[in-house]
Amino acid sequence: MSKKQKRTEKFLAAMTYGAFIFTFSVLVFIIAFILFKGVPHLKPSLFSLKYTSENVSLMPALISTLIMTAISIAISVPLGVFSAIYLVEYAKRGNKVVNLIRLTTETLSGIPSIIYGLFGLLFFVTYLGWGFSVLAGSFTLSIMILPLIIRSSEEALKAVPDSYREGSFGLGAGKLRTVFRVVLPAAIPGIFAGIILAVGRIVGETAALIYTAGTVAQVPKDLLQSARTLSVHMFALSSEGLHTGEAYATAVVLLILVVVINTVSAMVAKRIGGKA
Amino acid sequence: MNKAKEKIMSIVFLIAALTSIFAVALICLFLIVNGIPAMAKIGLFDFLLGKEWAPSDVPAEYGILPMILGSLYVTAGAVLIGVPIGILSAVFLAFVCPKKLYKKVKPAVDLLAGVPSVVYGFFGMAVLVPITGYSMLTASLLLGIMILPTVIGLAESALRAVPTQYYEGSLALGAGHYKSVFSVVLPAAKSGLLAAVVLGIGRAIGETMAVIMVAGNQARIPHSLFKGVRTLTANIVIEMGYASELHRDALIATGVVLFVFILIINLSFSALKRRSDK
Amino acid sequence: MKKHIPLICLCFIALLLTSCGFGGKGEFKADKEIAVFSREDGSGTRTAFTEIFNIVEMGENGTRKDRTTKEAVIAKQTDVLMSGIASDRYSIGYLSLGSVNKTIKLISIDGVYPTAETVKNGTYAVSRPFIIVTKKEISPATQDFINFMLSKEGQAVAAESYISAVDNAPEFNSSMPSGKVVVAGSSSVTPVMEKLKEAYIEINPNAIIEIQLSDSSSGIQGVIDGTCDIGMSSRHLKDSEKAVLDQHTIALDGIAIVVNKNNPINNLSSEQVKAVFKGEITRWRELIEQG
Repeated sequence: MSKKQKRTEKFLAAMTYGAFIFTFSVLVFIIAFILFKGVPHLKPSLFSLKYTSENVSLMPALISTLIMTAISIAISVPLGVFSAIYLVEYAKRGNKVVNLIRLTTETLSGIPSIIYGLFGLLFFVTYLGWGFSVLAGSFTLSIMILPLIIRSSEEALKAVPDSYREGSFGLGAGKLRTVFRVVLPAAIPGIFAGIILAVGRIVGETAALIYTAGTVAQVPKDLLQSARTLSVHMFALSSEGLHTGEAYATAVVLLILVVVINTVSAMVAKRIGGKA
Repeated sequence: MNKAKEKIMSIVFLIAALTSIFAVALICLFLIVNGIPAMAKIGLFDFLLGKEWAPSDVPAEYGILPMILGSLYVTAGAVLIGVPIGILSAVFLAFVCPKKLYKKVKPAVDLLAGVPSVVYGFFGMAVLVPITGYSMLTASLLLGIMILPTVIGLAESALRAVPTQYYEGSLALGAGHYKSVFSVVLPAAKSGLLAAVVLGIGRAIGETMAVIMVAGNQARIPHSLFKGVRTLTANIVIEMGYASELHRDALIATGVVLFVFILIINLSFSALKRRSDK
Repeated sequence: MKKHIPLICLCFIALLLTSCGFGGKGEFKADKEIAVFSREDGSGTRTAFTEIFNIVEMGENGTRKDRTTKEAVIAKQTDVLMSGIASDRYSIGYLSLGSVNKTIKLISIDGVYPTAETVKNGTYAVSRPFIIVTKKEISPATQDFINFMLSKEGQAVAAESYISAVDNAPEFNSSMPSGKVVVAGSSSVTPVMEKLKEAYIEINPNAIIEIQLSDSSSGIQGVIDGTCDIGMSSRHLKDSEKAVLDQHTIALDGIAIVVNKNNPINNLSSEQVKAVFKGEITRWRELIEQG
């Protein structure tokens, strides 16, 4: 190798390493920064069931986050999985409707959350008259995560070998029975991984929620009451500017949630990989 | 009986599949119904090309050119920072990183994607702002960091999709490891990489909560890298809370403009993806 | 090279960490440009501030022009404003007196330093009322909650962090109504409303009080539209709003003009504040020489 070639190699190597080191350091730094700022404020009182102006507990927000996640998932998963079943098992190739569904699903996944927020405000909050409520927030979120669920379910269904289906048909089972008894069970881990990703997206969401679910800091008593998720809680604390430390503590809890979600999804992904 | 069940369920599946079409239609409908009349009332040109945004003045002014430019500049800045670093990091992950290390760092990169945007905003506000101020530069930097996981993820899979023969052939011809990657594999993955860039642009232009915490949000034509800027998304989220009547509709119309941008980006992404799949 | 990756990472992080320490040290250079911080158009604090200092120009036939400099950083969150002023030595901004913390410095206006007393006796003129608005006809629960706010007990709660508005308020006798009261509006009023709610619920556990944080105008609009029962406002009502709504002042709040801790300035005249926020004075030197 000539000297010049060697120099090129070295230069390219340095750039590659440099870029990766930057990426990795930024990540480590963000996490270290949040822990450094937030952990000192992570007191047991932050987990009391009641939010008061003295003790800006994050527990109600955590509970609201769980409620909204559960509702959005409950709406979105059946729709998304059925939709994927249609696309993979029923639709004929090259069908115009299928192309349109693909296109709209892609469009949905590219829409920024603030647009979902606007739409939720216009449709659920105002047009349907639900007001700022858990319900309006959850429905908005469920549309937002729908493309994620559809795509991961689609991939999971596609990954099920055709021999499964042929075997089931061969045994005389109908299409529906094949789908529910044979194909779907085999695809469950993949679908589950998609659901977990969706949960991650919900947990981190703010812009789609402030104008749909509102910002009330208490545990909602019914679904037409307003509530805030953890991310919104962080934003609201910073708006008032009185409890910055607690906002960082909330960030720590959020990060822990994200790490848990990522670990679970990695574990599920590993299991799928191991099987295949 | 079984046949009826089959039939019913296949219809149920079809209906479920139609939800996404229905959702997109509904979103378009509600944005347009609420946004277009405002555009008409303000005047399309005064709205899109007006340089003054002063909604609570009497008479009010609703020009969103500053915000359109703001979004474009900030996104361009984010791409300038995020794309090279992202693609190079993807090269590292795909071709340089030892397997052992890969297993450890890949989840870390995924974690970067999971960090909520408010958290990025706090980071930007407390760490970047004291150095670079509330400015276009800070917003671009922060967004550049935020689009990294998107760019890295897509770029990595695009690079891995290139057949190994390309790389091996180049090595056999006497090129070095890096040279082979950069002058043979990267060009071969061109449309996949481009798709990564386009999706990164989409992420950057749509980001809201982190941007409003670092950008300064001045509603005037941006004129310096070190001065503040307001994006379309910031305009909506900052003022939507108290807007009423025409002001509110003007903000929804701002959303329509953003939506159109996103549609253009999405369509080019789909087109690119189709090309790279072929 | 591969072995050094963790080491390089660490160095890089250390570099970033040290850079965090910048921003607070060194000498104050009066030649520097003033970094003006403002709130978003329509926030009650901004409306009150610009009206008190005549930064808003009211024309004869109802025209209104906010002359706040276009270069002002717009902060939607009080946090963003405070951390901005704390980190930028050449900055100036304004916020509710109740929110000011130790990271930033208060300055006197026309020689009067803002405190609860100077706001209440009117010598510190930069203040605004916290107003609640309702429709003319209201539910018993809403009425009872309002009675509480204007009572001796309610005013004592308000006085903890703001300044009470009603002298010699009567003692509170709850009629113990049940029902839901939705309160919405100004983010400046929200903290004190939270406290009032907590105190009230202790007396009358039958009522459910829901507080929505948004801003003054949407709170008022919400009452008119019927989406909430009580609107919180930190600005005076417009005439069109006065015609259809009832209003009560529940507390007073000073608006503090704040600068960075390293800023040598302690006092500004209202003319100077006006000129700075209109962008007519752009260098600190001009203020220091005048002062």
